[in-house]
Amino acid sequence: MNVDMCFNHAWEEELEKRIEQDGPWGSWPLFQSTVKMETRMMVSNFEGLLAPAFLPGLTALPHQLEAARRVIEEMNGKAILADEVGLGKTIEAGLVLKEYLVRGLVKKVLILTPASLVSQWASELNNKFYIPAVAQKKLYAWDQYDIVISSIDMAKRSPHKEKIYEQNYDLVIIDEAHKLKNHKTKNYQFIRHLKKKFCLLLTATPIQNRLDEMFHLVSLLKPGHLGNESQFSEQFKKGDRQVQNHHHLMKLMNKVMIRNRRQDTGVEWAARKVDSIKVAFTDKERTFYDALQLFVRSQPEDVRSSFSLLTLQREACSSKEAVFFTLKNMAKKWLDDGMELPEHFQQILSHMEQITHNSKAQKALELIQSINDKVIIFTEYRATQMYLQWFFKQNGISSVPFRGGFKRGKKDWMKQLFQHQAQVLIATEAGGEGLNLQFCHHLINFDLPWNPMRLEQRIGRIHRFGQSEDVHIYNFSIEETIEDRILQLLYEKIHLFEKAVGQLDDILEKMEIPNMEEHLTDIFQHSKTEGELQVKMRNLEAALELAKEWKEGEESFAEKRNSSIS
Amino acid sequence: MLKNEIHLFLEDYFKAAECTFLEETEGSLTVKLTPELDKELMNRPFYWHYAEKTGMKGEPLSLTLITDQDKAPEGLKGENVHFGAPRLQQIFQSAKRHASFIRLYEQKGFGRQQPLHPWLLVNMKVSYEADRKKDIFYSYGLNLINGSIQEDFMSALSRKSLLSKIPDFSFTITPLIKPQSGVKRLQRFLTAQIEKENHDWAVKANKRWAEDLNLLDCFYEEEEEKPEAYFIEKAALEKQYSPKIYADIINGGLIYLQPQSG
Repeated sequence: MNVDMCFNHAWEEELEKRIEQDGPWGSWPLFQSTVKMETRMMVSNFEGLLAPAFLPGLTALPHQLEAARRVIEEMNGKAILADEVGLGKTIEAGLVLKEYLVRGLVKKVLILTPASLVSQWASELNNKFYIPAVAQKKLYAWDQYDIVISSIDMAKRSPHKEKIYEQNYDLVIIDEAHKLKNHKTKNYQFIRHLKKKFCLLLTATPIQNRLDEMFHLVSLLKPGHLGNESQFSEQFKKGDRQVQNHHHLMKLMNKVMIRNRRQDTGVEWAARKVDSIKVAFTDKERTFYDALQLFVRSQPEDVRSSFSLLTLQREACSSKEAVFFTLKNMAKKWLDDGMELPEHFQQILSHMEQITHNSKAQKALELIQSINDKVIIFTEYRATQMYLQWFFKQNGISSVPFRGGFKRGKKDWMKQLFQHQAQVLIATEAGGEGLNLQFCHHLINFDLPWNPMRLEQRIGRIHRFGQSEDVHIYNFSIEETIEDRILQLLYEKIHLFEKAVGQLDDILEKMEIPNMEEHLTDIFQHSKTEGELQVKMRNLEAALELAKEWKEGEESFAEKRNSSIS
Repeated sequence: MLKNEIHLFLEDYFKAAECTFLEETEGSLTVKLTPELDKELMNRPFYWHYAEKTGMKGEPLSLTLITDQDKAPEGLKGENVHFGAPRLQQIFQSAKRHASFIRLYEQKGFGRQQPLHPWLLVNMKVSYEADRKKDIFYSYGLNLINGSIQEDFMSALSRKSLLSKIPDFSFTITPLIKPQSGVKRLQRFLTAQIEKENHDWAVKANKRWAEDLNLLDCFYEEEEEKPEAYFIEKAALEKQYSPKIYADIINGGLIYLQPQSG
């Protein structure tokens, strides 16, 4: 077949000038040496990875190299990188980018990440990969630099958006891409309108569970790969949440997605040591908790669900400050709507005022003092975060806060402070993503998220590649509360903590519970009696057990099969 | 043990630039830059601007490059250079600028008058490019008197003794073919060579392109009026997959050789 040939004529024009002017002429040894270097750096093969030879300081793991190779050779440079947390998706993306740069297939690159990760990406690409990536700071950066990193929130706004639309990108990398699952959002539409040859979507959240989300994410990458919307529903959807033709769908997904799991990587991991620490309420705390429970139950159904009073109980297990914050907002809403405060409301407040002591915080303090090393504390509530910081300070423990809402520079600064000065980092959930804290080996879950995947994200901050020591995880819960129950169910019955996240996905997938948190909330909110609640919980427990057994059955089957081959 | 290829390249580079070698081991070299090279490599325009404005004699920096950490003296402070290092890329680009045109004369030890025939040397990088890429190196020599073409010309030249000065008792024959049309001839020759190949890679790339295009069309088949996103994606697919061959001249020049060697 005939292929278009393009000659660059600049050299021959310059040659004529040099002949006319009689020079300048280069030195013969340097001329030869340059040719040698040029041929040495040429791409002698369509296949294979050249990047590792250009990265002597980087020890890429086998699964990372294999991922990079597959992206380029099997997926034509369009892929979802969905490794479990901590397996090094950024390294894989860096390898792909480097490979394309070395091969000269990519020049103009846009990297979109959450704001908190912009500088981390920049430093990894510059230091580990020798890729001159710059964090976008000025409007002219879009034109002027070839490789720009920005937060998606910044990029999608005018006047940046318009500038970006003008660029022809060779490669677009999007970190935390699961945020693009909703095709109606501005973010999604923004990405859809980028001019991009190659594209990498990075996500640690498995997308198999939500069919529509999966469809939209893939359609961003490779429109039509899963058919159009109606073909997709027809072929794969059964009802709202269930899948049909599961195998066929997975086959298609495997053509655009790479998902390494911990157990597949063959790499030794630092061990996880998990302790459940049960804390007893003081009498005053208990009275308050019980009063809240009573208050919640006494509300009519519509009030109960509209204010998600369940939240109050969960907050009470964290700190009275957290409850107060919610109560204040509720009261404001009631009063703004011209309604009276419900019965018992004042009573609750006065119970709250009685509390002078936070049992959990006290326990955390003792633990931190005995650990005498860096500790991360996660809490779901900002009010608790602030309280803990104050409380630790009173007791001579230095701590720094960390929140998703912090500006990029502040996050870096907090991380630095934690590494070099403070003993404790207190993070809220939003602080979880992409923060690498391998220098820390102790993690306290001050309160527990109901979504196991979020918990895994938390642990992934310290339990990742590069962690050389065992990781200690302490789960706090208050005895005889809703928290205690959830902990028992989710985290003890099925030993989720010791498990790798991949197995967890499998289990949840088998149960066909797309969202554990919603499911639990549903059980707690809509059970009319304690008896009903218990039955529902036991059902869920049984389902979890069953899914786990299936999973283990499959594994032992697979093992047997493997051993009989070898 | 031998110095590695990067080390040898750097030696040639700094020698050609007439830098003074302050210290050299098998794994490192320290050179005193010339003002020209300092300006080119060290990125301190303000210093040089200031020096020139005040009439002060600028002092170029020394540069220590470590080409092999195991063989470099312990504790030596310097920049590590390897194939991925930006410094090496920078020097390589500079070397290409300084060595893209050359004029050489073959040397022979006899006293007799010697006619030297003009040859055009062209080194090319040819890239086969779609969503993947491969480069091929071509080195051609074109006899500017009779039009004969020699392949792998660099190898032939490397066995000869060549200098930028015409030897005594030698004279050059004026080309019958102008060097510029010589370049054109070589391009035509290359094109003919390449057209003979089967280009399986391009067939495969076209197939991948067609597949993705087909998916894209399916995706939007229910929409009468195709949205902008469709056209953006369609154009992107063309950029990604359409097979192209790029031929860039790396360097070359005029080489005057004794007739029998042609």
